[in-house]
Amino acid sequence: MNFDLPAEHRMIRDQVREFCEEEIAPIAQEIEDEHRFPEEIFEQLGQLDVMGVPISEEYGGLGGDTLLYSVVAEELGRVSGGIGLSYVAHTSLGSKPIELFGTDEQKAEWLRPLAAGDELGAWALTEPGSGSDASDMDTVAERDGDEYVLNGTKQFITNASVANSVLVKAVTDPEAGYDGISTFIVDPDDDGFEVATVWDKMGLNCSPTCEISLDDVRVPEDRLLGAEGEGWTQTMKTLEGGRISIAALSTGLAQGAYEAAKEYSGEREQFGKPISTFDAVRDMVVDMHRKTERARLLTHKAATMYDDGDDVTRASALAKLDASEAAREVAEDAVQVHGGYGYTTDFPPQRFYRDAKLMEIGEGTSEIQHLIIGRQLGL
Amino acid sequence: MKILVTVKEVAEAADDFEIEGTDIGEQYLEYDLNEWDDYAIEAAVQLSETYGDIEVVSATIGPERSEETIRMALAKGVDRAIRVWDDDIAAADLDVAAKTRLFAAVVDEEEPDLVLSGVQAADDGFGATGVSVADEIGFDWAAVVNHLDTEDDLSTAHVHRELEGGIEELTDVDLPAVLTIQTGLNEPRYASLRGIRQAQSKEIAAFGLADLGLDADAVDSPISRTGMYEPETESDATYFDGAADEQAAQLADVLREKGVVSE
Ligand SMILES: Cc1cc2nc3c(=O)[nH]c(=O)nc-3n(C[C@H](O)[C@H](O)[C@H](O)COP(=O)(O)OP(=O)(O)OC[C@H]3O[C@@H](n4cnc5c(N)ncnc54)[C@H](O)[C@@H]3O)c2cc1C
Repeated sequence: MNFDLPAEHRMIRDQVREFCEEEIAPIAQEIEDEHRFPEEIFEQLGQLDVMGVPISEEYGGLGGDTLLYSVVAEELGRVSGGIGLSYVAHTSLGSKPIELFGTDEQKAEWLRPLAAGDELGAWALTEPGSGSDASDMDTVAERDGDEYVLNGTKQFITNASVANSVLVKAVTDPEAGYDGISTFIVDPDDDGFEVATVWDKMGLNCSPTCEISLDDVRVPEDRLLGAEGEGWTQTMKTLEGGRISIAALSTGLAQGAYEAAKEYSGEREQFGKPISTFDAVRDMVVDMHRKTERARLLTHKAATMYDDGDDVTRASALAKLDASEAAREVAEDAVQVHGGYGYTTDFPPQRFYRDAKLMEIGEGTSEIQHLIIGRQLGL
Repeated sequence: MKILVTVKEVAEAADDFEIEGTDIGEQYLEYDLNEWDDYAIEAAVQLSETYGDIEVVSATIGPERSEETIRMALAKGVDRAIRVWDDDIAAADLDVAAKTRLFAAVVDEEEPDLVLSGVQAADDGFGATGVSVADEIGFDWAAVVNHLDTEDDLSTAHVHRELEGGIEELTDVDLPAVLTIQTGLNEPRYASLRGIRQAQSKEIAAFGLADLGLDADAVDSPISRTGMYEPETESDATYFDGAADEQAAQLADVLREKGVVSE
């Protein structure tokens, strides 16, 4: 058992970290305050081959493994949860399914620009009336000659307002239950596609979260991803990878919050000495470190299993459940260690705290992760 | 055409380090590419991108550990790397003359048209290796280059040199030459992730003294380190309050008092 990252992974981590510290950290709070999606950052990430890390080189990706992808997602989370979220939604949800389930033609047309970082991807499962019970969806796709006609509303879709393709889940056979769901590649320029709302949120405001309405959106049949009826099994497979990326992102949030608190506790003096010398503060920082390490280990384990082709249903749910909880707890303690300053937007802990909360909600709430793990344990 | 870039992995001490013997305790050190060398690499890679048909080779004197740092240069566009090291070098306290002999031997081997080095290394800070190598191999040189243009046929480098007191010297150097590169010459790029992946399989050739036609005498040095201590730091800051004219008056008083300006 080897706990060291391979040299290539280490080098890539260090270089991405340098980029994040130089280019993202200085604007991380500003883009939150302005609710601005930082296009220029994503352009640079594209030039550095970050946008297609786990996508095969054949389609313009880097050809890295899931472990490498996790390392990169963690680094983004360490400085900006919002950039990290848009990144993992683009990669795990918007790009990876095309690689896994698409035809060669679809990959050439839709995956290549995503992997190269020229375009952004999105993925639309959730609806106003169906969140945790995601298969109970109302969006429909009806066949009409050699086209499909899509109607419905999708809720909380990351990147939809800045994406060039959205993978939309819709019911093609209302009688068939899970087997009646299919996936379509929708172009936001298609007639009838509209971003109805970009939500104001508790955090992650540089990452657009959108409600989209599909009103008689006509797509040619070659926009069907995989076969009709495969949409649900694709969803399960997609979320297994996606949960690893949320775990990685959460680990990054925890790491960022932990580092901020560790540094501050060494500098801030009260009663004539650094606050880190008080047992209560030291214990908080030690626990932040413990939780961050634990989150990272579970994340790397799930990523490694994914790369080995093992079943990761339990491992990815466990990593996501633990890391998201760790991120929220560590970020909360980072606010506490900073005292009143931690409550101000001049210091990053409040941002990590806001951002971390979503990690316990998106891609399956913590309650749903418990449900999945319980089922895996035969309970 | 060939450009040789000398690169060094430098040690950086943690904030709270301790001295052990005549060195900083190994556990307090982190290693990274020397900042100046990053600019030298960028200059070489930009030249090769502009002119094509230029091979960029990096040369370093350093232990196996430094390979990871060298790979970053390879990731940024250096074509191949040379690493000089063996037991005799490891045992020596390398001074500028010893490094000069090693790099001169590498130059003999590679026959570059242009050698770029950093102005200085962030750790020992001799600031002499580049010029000393130029002298040894008989190349023209320019030190502390902060602006670089080249004649289209690459016969001449038009350089700006940074001198003391904010003065710049504009001068021409005929190739072959050694230029020592100052920070700020360009904007060093980030390595692309593909570059980093490809760098894993690029060649880092290992050379020992014998491979360079040298023996252990080459790294002998009359200089030895006899002590290491942390200098006392004194901070003596004066804060001025009040409106701008009041602050200016107070500043003037201080300057007079310290003898910076006369009464
Ligand atoms: C910022 C953000 C980005 C998002 N990005 C995307 C995206 O890109 N694409 C996409 O498709 N979706 C996205 N989502 C949607 C997200 O996945 C859902 O919000 C999430 O799955 C929860 O669904 P819901 O909001 O409808 O909550 P509900 O399902 O209504 O849950 C409400 C509460 O009930 C609990 N609950 C529900 N069912 C059970 C049960 N069986 N047992 C126990 N507890 C239960 C939940 O855990 C939760 O606490 C995003 C959401 C946000 C906020």
